[in-house]
Amino acid sequence: MVLRPSQSGNIFWCVYLNEYKLRSTIFVEAMVGLSLGEQHFIQGGIAQDLRCDGRKRLTYRPIYVETGVIPQANGSARVRMGATDVIASVKAELGKPSSLQPNKGKVSIHIDCSSTAEPAFEGRGGDELSAELSNALQSCLLGGKSGEGAGIDLSSLIVIEGKICWDLYIDGLVVSSDGNLLDTLGAAIKAALSNTGIPRVQVAAGESSDDQPEVDISDEEFLQFDTSGVPVIVTLTKVGRHYIVDATSEEESQMSSAISISVNRQGHICGITKRGGAGMDPSIILDMVSVAKHVSEQLINKLDSEIASAEAEDQE
Amino acid sequence: MAGKGGSAPATYSPSPTVQKKKTSIFQEDWVRPDGRGFHQCRPAFFRTGAVNAASGSAYAEFGNTKIIVSVFGPRESKKAMMYSDIGRLNCNVSYTTFASPVRGQGSDHKEYTAMLHKALEGAIILESFPKTTVDVFALVLESGGSDLPVVISCASLALADAGIMMYDLVASVSVSCLSKNLVIDPIFEEENSQDGSLMITCMPSRYEITQLTFTGEWSTPKIDEGMQLCLDACAKLAKIMRSCLKEAASDSQE
Repeated sequence: MVLRPSQSGNIFWCVYLNEYKLRSTIFVEAMVGLSLGEQHFIQGGIAQDLRCDGRKRLTYRPIYVETGVIPQANGSARVRMGATDVIASVKAELGKPSSLQPNKGKVSIHIDCSSTAEPAFEGRGGDELSAELSNALQSCLLGGKSGEGAGIDLSSLIVIEGKICWDLYIDGLVVSSDGNLLDTLGAAIKAALSNTGIPRVQVAAGESSDDQPEVDISDEEFLQFDTSGVPVIVTLTKVGRHYIVDATSEEESQMSSAISISVNRQGHICGITKRGGAGMDPSIILDMVSVAKHVSEQLINKLDSEIASAEAEDQE
Repeated sequence: MAGKGGSAPATYSPSPTVQKKKTSIFQEDWVRPDGRGFHQCRPAFFRTGAVNAASGSAYAEFGNTKIIVSVFGPRESKKAMMYSDIGRLNCNVSYTTFASPVRGQGSDHKEYTAMLHKALEGAIILESFPKTTVDVFALVLESGGSDLPVVISCASLALADAGIMMYDLVASVSVSCLSKNLVIDPIFEEENSQDGSLMITCMPSRYEITQLTFTGEWSTPKIDEGMQLCLDACAKLAKIMRSCLKEAASDSQE
């Protein structure tokens, strides 16, 4: 694995095949510039269970959660893990359920990487990363096609079966990126959903059975969302022969591959995605799954307590 | 359909559509429409050299899923791209408008392009074609279920046909979870009502997984079982792919 400066001579390292590539055609640009000595330091530290900031391999950075940061949204949260900062917002609008599943609401997740995080994200540059994060979050949180195993209970979003349901639009914004975006976004979405209040809807009685029944959306009363089933995402990054949790962007530049595993409170796996092109032995993947389950217990507890205290502060 | 002598010209009338009973899939004893067992894949048909203009191409047909992949390259990278010591891979997966039962509905699989790229990049020796780009274009002619795994397998065959150096062929299989039953190589109906799915892309000879996606809720024993099923199926699929390449090579020698 060799790094070389580009032809134009400014400090601009091209990262090679084994590393995490953002796009098929351009490489991870200037996100991290690491000398050979720094790379060996990172890899050696991970091998000895002592990372650059003193953490152990399976320790998360301190997590800060604030809820209710966006007043116009139905629910919102901001989560910081070290220098990674993301904001998630949930907006609910009335819509029509799909004909294939008339008794379930709809949820759509979209992530946007802002150019404040990285200059490379300006314009279309962040599109590929945003699409990858959106897909990973959708497969982790929305379950199979039949709606089974979804972290969010879609049947609680229905107003009138077959006619009116709530459409949840979950939007994530990456404000600052220092690695481990997927975990942070997962935590932010969980916190935003805990903060979400769906307005109470009164259906006008006596409507005819065609087209649009009259609905009255209350401004006062809100139904809180039940988020005990929402999973958390744990990303295990493989550097050399060891796995670390919550990698910074420097550590991510040294990875061979990463697996993001979404685990819920019951210990069931709700989704797995692999990032990075290097091949991995199946037994390693199964090992990573069990490590992720173990780590997720602490993460879920920590996150729940942080969300609860953030909500309590919000009330005051 | 055959014309009768002397009478008015026969018009084509489609065969009367049998109203298919919508069997509830949520029974435990789901019987697969094509009579396969739960752990039985569809018969695989591969043919290389389907497109003459391309450097390499392959056609795959698994039941009702028909895919054609063409590979162009290595070609000069666009001038706007930066210099790179290793080659680039550019993928695209597109659906024809007649691919899905309802016209135009198959095109909401934009993530397939990124997933095809991730599945192939670990297997290609990019150092063997520096400064150039290899383009892989996949076209789904008919979508009968389990599209992405077939696209990936067909693409690796097309790359082999084009002579691009690879560490190993890439075989891919998906498994659907239908209320406690694990069903391999699902068809369109089974995919639409699945409770969870697992797709594995692996390099069978090296026994390495290049891409792995789980959706839905899985317990650990099910994960083990699903992965084992997929890996076995991938090994068998790789044998079929190799025999197709050997046939094509021996045909061209004659």
